[in-house]
Amino acid sequence: MTILVYTFAGIALIGVLGFLGRRGPTVDLAEWTVGGRRFGTMTMWFLQAGEVFTTFTFLGLAGLAFSGGVAAMYALPYVPIAYVFLFFLARRVWSLGKARGYLTQGDFLEDRYGSRLLGTVGAVIGVVFVLPYLQLQVTGLGLIVKLVSGNATSGTLSMIIGCVLVIAFVLWSGLRGVAVTSYFKDAIMLIVLGVLIFAVPAHFAGGISAMFHKVAQLHPSALTIHTGPNDLTWFVTSMLSSAIGVAFLTLPHNWPAIMSAKDPKVLRRNYTWLPLYELCLMFPMVIGFAAIVVLPKSTNSNGVLLTLSQHALPTWATGIVVVAAIATAMVPAAGILVGISSLVARNIVRVRNERGQFWVNQGTVVVACGLALLLGIYRPDLLANLLLLTFSGLAQLAPANGIGFLRRRLVGKWPVLAGIVVGIAVVIYLTFAATTMFGTFNVGLIGLAANLIVLAVGAVIERLTGNAPVPDPPAVTNAVAEIELAA
Amino acid sequence: MRRYHAIPLVPALALVLMPFLPFVDTDALWLGLPRMMVWGGAWCVLLTVALLTAERMMARDSAAGERNQP
Repeated sequence: MTILVYTFAGIALIGVLGFLGRRGPTVDLAEWTVGGRRFGTMTMWFLQAGEVFTTFTFLGLAGLAFSGGVAAMYALPYVPIAYVFLFFLARRVWSLGKARGYLTQGDFLEDRYGSRLLGTVGAVIGVVFVLPYLQLQVTGLGLIVKLVSGNATSGTLSMIIGCVLVIAFVLWSGLRGVAVTSYFKDAIMLIVLGVLIFAVPAHFAGGISAMFHKVAQLHPSALTIHTGPNDLTWFVTSMLSSAIGVAFLTLPHNWPAIMSAKDPKVLRRNYTWLPLYELCLMFPMVIGFAAIVVLPKSTNSNGVLLTLSQHALPTWATGIVVVAAIATAMVPAAGILVGISSLVARNIVRVRNERGQFWVNQGTVVVACGLALLLGIYRPDLLANLLLLTFSGLAQLAPANGIGFLRRRLVGKWPVLAGIVVGIAVVIYLTFAATTMFGTFNVGLIGLAANLIVLAVGAVIERLTGNAPVPDPPAVTNAVAEIELAA
Repeated sequence: MRRYHAIPLVPALALVLMPFLPFVDTDALWLGLPRMMVWGGAWCVLLTVALLTAERMMARDSAAGERNQP
């Protein structure tokens, strides 16, 4: 009962914080989506870090360490590796966005290739592949409450209340609401993980070092990458595929956060320091290793962090752990909603006037979150299948984005579009029809190879038929160059 | 490619190679922790150092470029 009180108080608190983010009434989509491009280092830090720490990192990484041992470490390097790339790219992307008024990935593709069709296709891919990720946060919230209360009804109720509050504060405050809740989420998550990383190993094994010595003695294979579903091929290809996805900004909800920076120095500073923050990913992994020593192999891997917390901590402290876990579901869900709704309003529905665009955006927030909630309650497995496609599918936008970042136009819209279509078709085929064809090799990378081959062949045909892409008009190039120089 | 581009590539490469290094992918421990965690953690720290160095070099290059302008 005490934990349920904490749970619903936590959900309400996150909702209230989201409402506090609002700076005043607005029907301006740029103000709502990217905070008027005025966010400084601190806000950007929590927005960018907030995208990294979701229910997957909090509960899923502990579960992955429990089931696959050090294979969970694949999640540590890919974001810092991508940050190296983004560190050098930040000024270019931000300047393009500022000069050309981008709010979304679809805006970028449409403008760089001079194609509304490509902008719409990019937006549709973004929405379709990110919707399962939104549902993952919603069902994650329900799972957390169900695990700690042992009651399915409480889980469903928490999903409904959580979704209503997320919709309400996102509509009211936009990205500013996400930023304020991100402060809270990261603060409580760090405190909780900081306590758990010492309390759990101390309680069950006499300390972190003693616990790992026990793992080395009883389960030495957990300390190496071994054969099975999480083998070396899986480790390396998953790491590379995820790094490509992050480095080329293929996740649509990354765009509003980057476009909201007041200047590219803010982004660059954060890309410099965020690799240190990534070290926190190892905290839930340590809890997962403790679970290897303590819990039977048949335990639900996603619940190991909460199960061990309940055993090692007093009830009130477990309540705080639950609030932190709920925050890792609600806050990323809010950020994803901002990304989805702006794509629909700007690049799919395409209402001409600004006011109409804003209301389409607001309607999409309600529909997208409502859909994720309904599917989460009634058909939790439907989107779970699509989730397999989220990262592999979105990675197919990497070549389009990568070429779009360049100053020179190398290819036109058709080769890029053909590459995306073939890449996604390959990913869908390998995910659902030929699941064992390439073993544990990441299907996103195979799709990407097919995508690049088609793109290259298309580019050659383009040149041979005299349809080489037209360079940007000098006025556009100069406007971007001026902003880049000033930044 | 300039010199400051190469510096952060060293820690990035060390992170990519992590699972291939036999002295890292082993069941022995360093400082009471799995070697892969120590290796990955250390290179994440060094990545920040490398990016700070790259930023300083970029600032120095751009200052030198401004001085050399007529």
